[in-house]
Amino acid sequence: MSVKYTPVQWNPNKYVYDLVTLAGIVLYIVLFLKFAPMEIERSQQVNYPILRMRAFGTCAFLLLSIILCIGPLARLDKRFLPLLYNRRHLGVLTFAVALTHASYVIDWYYVFSPTDRYVALITSNVDYGQFLGFPFEAFGIFSLFVLLVLAVTSHDFWLKFFTPPFWKALHMMIYVGYASLVAHVLFGYMQGATDPIFPVLVLFFSATVLLLHIAAGKRETTADRSTTAMIEGDWVNVARLEDLEDEHGHVVPLPGGERIAIFRYDGKLSATSNACAHQNGPLGEGRIIDGCITCPWHGFQYRPEDGCAPTPFTEKIATYRLLLKDGDILVDPKPNPPGTHVDPVLIGESV
Amino acid sequence: MAKTHDDFFVGYIRGVPRGSRALIILVILAFVGAMSGAGYFISATQPDPGPGRFFFQHKAFTGILETAPYPLVRVAPNETYPEGHTLLLAGQGKRGVQATAAALAGKVVDVGGVLLKRGTIDMLQVGRRVPLQASVDGLSDDAREAIDLSVTDLGTWRLTGEICDGKCYVGAMRPGTGIAHKACANLCLNGGVPAVFVSTAPVEGTEFFLLSDQNGNPIDKELQRFVAARVQVDGQIERRGDLMVFKVDLNSVEVL
Ligand code: HEM
Ligand code: FES
Repeated sequence: MSVKYTPVQWNPNKYVYDLVTLAGIVLYIVLFLKFAPMEIERSQQVNYPILRMRAFGTCAFLLLSIILCIGPLARLDKRFLPLLYNRRHLGVLTFAVALTHASYVIDWYYVFSPTDRYVALITSNVDYGQFLGFPFEAFGIFSLFVLLVLAVTSHDFWLKFFTPPFWKALHMMIYVGYASLVAHVLFGYMQGATDPIFPVLVLFFSATVLLLHIAAGKRETTADRSTTAMIEGDWVNVARLEDLEDEHGHVVPLPGGERIAIFRYDGKLSATSNACAHQNGPLGEGRIIDGCITCPWHGFQYRPEDGCAPTPFTEKIATYRLLLKDGDILVDPKPNPPGTHVDPVLIGESV
Repeated sequence: MAKTHDDFFVGYIRGVPRGSRALIILVILAFVGAMSGAGYFISATQPDPGPGRFFFQHKAFTGILETAPYPLVRVAPNETYPEGHTLLLAGQGKRGVQATAAALAGKVVDVGGVLLKRGTIDMLQVGRRVPLQASVDGLSDDAREAIDLSVTDLGTWRLTGEICDGKCYVGAMRPGTGIAHKACANLCLNGGVPAVFVSTAPVEGTEFFLLSDQNGNPIDKELQRFVAARVQVDGQIERRGDLMVFKVDLNSVEVL
């Protein structure tokens, strides 16, 4: 919700988040390179440059897997929401770790030759037609490209620049990037792996990422189905007044699949789009704080009666018309243009 | 009437809500613990990369140079090799020494550098101090007599194993084998480093073979398709001194 773009708007939560992330990365790399017992049962040690590329490659894989678990975890259990808050820093750090892996690979496997290293990278194995010996590096290059694009466009400046729907679609590429990364490991390292731990972790994490997304998706469709919207003329009956907690949002699905957020506050009711203008966070899971709808993801705020962010901010979301009839809440499913004022329904005066 | 909402997290206003605090602290501990454990154990359980390695002491040898399928020297008995030895040659990095070797085929040469060893295979990485050159002092008749120039045909064999680049395999990279290393191996082979075959079962005591095509020439680029994979190959085995050469039939290669 910045008017002026600064590289990062720091606050104590972000410091803690980044410190913990960095601590995890540093411990991982240091233990991998320095403290693991390398001599044990090996005729010779793994070359240091290869050890280094493995340390950073495996670290990037684990980080990316963890990032992808946070979204569905927060949807399944709101107590995980603080992990979502600063996810983009985690993403940028993961890109840095992955880039380090890639440059260590290129500066070891593709050097010392008469061929230029970058030419060698794309020409020394071109057996795209076969399974065993497939140039798995191509999957790594693609994943790195995805991480680069996402890291570069992670700032809210680009979110505004591209518009949130496009930005969101762009950032969905992370899933393609992750799939490509799993292929990178399956077609490469795992073809010859006889070690027990990393291959198990790869299978464990790729399955966990997948299952958590399925579980979170299921939870949402079940929730949508259990809220039965009844159509009454132009209006849709979406909820009972007593189901709405004061100063809380309430998510309701419309027959078209769209979700809206209804808020009860100060003896009034208002409805807006459920999608935050920032990153589509679920506003209906938010609260009314200082009279404003507050997004549960990064805390962007909107006035409930017109969907406008308080000055000096400029974000706007769509509003909806409401009716209260014998304790039933009815909504007109046609959204108003973002920022349109709608008089809140006063709870005292049921129609 | 205004609630405190202290169960609701707003990152720029306050810390983690009380209801989430225990879980978040647990997540932080689990993250740091899991990263430490994973780093340690993934590293500690990496597969054995094999015993190949460099011996960084400069050595010089005199012997007879052969250039097919790849440059090699039949070394006369000396301090390092009292029985004499057949040494594979490679240049610096991912390069062969074909260019200098061509003019010296069959001649007595001096050559120095550092050795790479793994099992029965020794490779000399030719250095600058004693480059590959026509021998300055030549060989005495006795020394020349002592070089085992015999070529013995050991018949036709079907072997299972891996096609590798001879330099990474003998220790320039650890590991220098396997699919993860395939592009690197191809790059070495393109540069002229000798191709070797590592068999899963030994033939007459050795698992290591220098590769050639059926006519004794360097293997075709076609064969790079099979590098690093587990393959089955038919061919004729030839013993040259103490080096085994596997003359493979390109059409017989099968990925297992
Ligand atoms: C230019 C891009 C990339 C190239 C050329 C590349 C190349 C390689 C190579 C050659 C290996 C095998 C290393 C070995 O001998 O053990 C490898 C392994 C691996 N890579 Fe990549 N990679 C790239 C990008 C990435 C990215 C973006 C990630 C993660 C986000 C990644 C994760 C891994 C992992 C987890 C392994 C298996 C463990 C290991 O051996 O390091 N790679 N990569
Ligand atoms: S999605 Fe970021 S604040 Fe709403």
